[in-house]
Amino acid sequence: MSLLTVSNLSKRYRRGGNTVIAVDDISFHIEPGETLALAGPSGSGKSTIARLVLRLIEPDAGGIEFEGDDFLTLHGAALRARRARLQMVFQDPLAAFNPRATVARVLDDPLRIHGIASRAERPRRIAALLERVGLAADLAPRAIHEISGGQRQRVAIARAIATKPSLIVLDEAVSALDVSVRGQILDLLLDLQRQERIAYLFISHDLGVVRALAHRVILLDAGRIAESGDARAVIDAPQSAIGKALVASAPKLKRTTQDAS
Amino acid sequence: MTALAAIRDLTVTYRRDGRAVAALKDVSVDIVAGERLAIIGESGSGKSTLALAIAGLLPTTARIEGHIDWFIRPSSILGAQAPPSVLPDISPTRGEIGSSVAGTPPAALEIGESGGDSAISPQVGEMSGRTEGSAVERQLRHLRGGVPLLGRDIGFVFQDPSASLDPVMKIGKQIAEVAHTHLGLGWPQAYAKAKTLLERVRLPDPDSALHAFPHQLSGGQKQRVAIAAAIAAGPKLLIADEATSALDTIVQAEIVGLIRQLVAEDGMTLLFVSHDIALAAELAERIAVFRHGQLVELGTTAQIVGAPAQPYTRALLDAHIGLDAEPLLNRAGLTL
Amino acid sequence: MSPLRRFLRTPEAIAGAILLGALVAMALIAPLLFPGDPQAIAGPALLPPFQDWSLPLGTDRLGRDVLAELFHGARTSIAVGLAAAVAALAIGSVVGTLAGFAGGLVDEVLMRITDAFQTVPSFLLALAFVSVVGPSLGIVVIAIALGTWTGPARIARAEVLSIRERDYVASARAIGMHPLEIAFREVLPNALPPVLAMSSVIVAAAILTEAALSFLGLGDPNRVTWGGMIAEGRAVLRTAPFLSIVPGIALVLTVLGVYLAGEGIVETTAVKRGLS
Repeated sequence: MSLLTVSNLSKRYRRGGNTVIAVDDISFHIEPGETLALAGPSGSGKSTIARLVLRLIEPDAGGIEFEGDDFLTLHGAALRARRARLQMVFQDPLAAFNPRATVARVLDDPLRIHGIASRAERPRRIAALLERVGLAADLAPRAIHEISGGQRQRVAIARAIATKPSLIVLDEAVSALDVSVRGQILDLLLDLQRQERIAYLFISHDLGVVRALAHRVILLDAGRIAESGDARAVIDAPQSAIGKALVASAPKLKRTTQDAS
Repeated sequence: MTALAAIRDLTVTYRRDGRAVAALKDVSVDIVAGERLAIIGESGSGKSTLALAIAGLLPTTARIEGHIDWFIRPSSILGAQAPPSVLPDISPTRGEIGSSVAGTPPAALEIGESGGDSAISPQVGEMSGRTEGSAVERQLRHLRGGVPLLGRDIGFVFQDPSASLDPVMKIGKQIAEVAHTHLGLGWPQAYAKAKTLLERVRLPDPDSALHAFPHQLSGGQKQRVAIAAAIAAGPKLLIADEATSALDTIVQAEIVGLIRQLVAEDGMTLLFVSHDIALAAELAERIAVFRHGQLVELGTTAQIVGAPAQPYTRALLDAHIGLDAEPLLNRAGLTL
Repeated sequence: MSPLRRFLRTPEAIAGAILLGALVAMALIAPLLFPGDPQAIAGPALLPPFQDWSLPLGTDRLGRDVLAELFHGARTSIAVGLAAAVAALAIGSVVGTLAGFAGGLVDEVLMRITDAFQTVPSFLLALAFVSVVGPSLGIVVIAIALGTWTGPARIARAEVLSIRERDYVASARAIGMHPLEIAFREVLPNALPPVLAMSSVIVAAAILTEAALSFLGLGDPNRVTWGGMIAEGRAVLRTAPFLSIVPGIALVLTVLGVYLAGEGIVETTAVKRGLS
């Protein structure tokens, strides 16, 4: 049984007088411990799908089945409780935290809300979470805006894994990071996947990263699936027009050739 | 190789919460006239500070030491009324406009002292036939100021076109205004110029785009408009500061191609500031690698990419995940 | 630089701080300097100022010490001004946050109620409320707050509407935080700065409204108020104008001080934002 099954999902927005179809009849599934990448140009519906899967917005049509239950029929307290299993990491970790928050507070929230640890136990759990993502435990009292971008994204990952989720949606989670930091964060994500068997819905416009990290990829164009399959097979030999355009436009570093002009 | 600008010992310090933070430390770089130079680095490398310093856009609170000497040919400054593409690309006569961003004595003195080759005055004499007297005076004042004028001599394209375009002004007016202000064109001519520019940046349907507002365009189209405004006055130097970073790869490739074409057509010098070494390598002839406010390495693209001398440059190259990289999944043993 | 020193950089802020400082000092030392009932008869009626140095500002129609009344009146002005402003800001930010965050029907209902309050002139509302319920300090505070909470509510709502679209609110929802906790713990504190920037205007308006109510005889009868003093002096305006002028000047200086200090605070926070 799949971990997540999305069937015939659609979402339209009304903007001014026009109706924009953001997501058009999309179906896919994610297996436990698998990374599925959603790639495509801006406006292809990647982020809308992420928010639909997380029930941050509601679909117009279609179904989402998560861990064997109909995710769309959950409401109120039941939905909030189930959110522990389905987490998210955003592109810009500074925007994803309350500007007044400290590291300790953003990690305390999920532990408190889902009753994972008692008040007395939480500081220890927070320290353990920080260590799990490769940060020093004494970072806890620092304000979010004081720490570096890479540290912030590690804190975001720590917050996401605090509730022991089975699926994490990574919405351009490494796109805003410096390349040197990006490598470390990717290693951390792979390490977590190997140890905890977490599945990722990995949203990115960077085909290089998608190819390196994902098991399967779905290429989106204007809200529809243009192409899907094994990440390396699809990216190495794209069949769709958008796939070919994405591959052609990815910056390539010709390190072996000396003639680079 | 003639230099367009020589940056010497440039140190820029910001004051933050009472502490001085050096954004650039002792940076010396020559910008060669007509070249495509990429400035690359990670966050905090000082690459954007350098771009802003060159454009004279640093906040007044920044402390600036060192200097930037400009070697802009007077003809290019004074003859700005001619369409840039038909400018005679020329004359070894090099008006040496010593300029100081801060600290050093007024540039006017340096111009006077360099009277040996008397590059400036004869040029002005020649020019006065073409331009209005008052225009010449205005140019001269500008020359004495020593720093090239942003908008006319330097075009600047920012990362976020929404932030650099006025949201309540029609696109045609925003571009025409540059031509009107810096080229002294009347409004009808300025609008005609704006339309030509929108065609040159390959905006679909330039006629209706003239009357559109920025919010009616997509991100890539807005960046095209920002580029049109940046090159409207025929600048010698085009600075693109992370101009494609907010765009997806397809639009990014289009914009990079557009910049490459415009720079070649107009004989502009390009300063391409980016965090992406692969993208920079596709566009630039030379690459300057920055880290922590210091210049790590400067060389031709082939040197930097093929045989980097510094470990940091090598690390940046290694961190690039291309379409031919070995999948991380294999390394992590995570194949299903 | 400490916030206080930054605050005291502009001359307006210094003037405002001095005026407010004097007002607070008056209110604090009133019971020490003038123990006993300021409404008790202290000397001959209608004694002009600067005649008798035990009664420096003279006496009113009933022979009460004007200086003692002025000092005790400062207490009422401060108490009512602050209490009404706090109440208005609290009601306004809660209503605005709920409306902006909940959206839909809740927003519609709350904002129509806000409209209803806003269409009635706030002074008439206060007047009507006090005449129906009866004058006392608490009622006056509520009456003033009823007419002034709508401004903060609208500003809070506008701010919340922009904040609720931010990633960190989505992130709070994604970890399963209760909507009310998101609204009041994550969103409201970040929506407050522009609302608080209104506080000086509200305090000043509250002090003036209180004075106006007292002037019309709808203030707390057991307390000395500047508005009441002006009303008292009105009967003898030709023969003893000082009875109205002295509390009038006190009122003007107080309102001026509140405005200037408020401006100073806004400047301070603006500078702080500019630096960061």
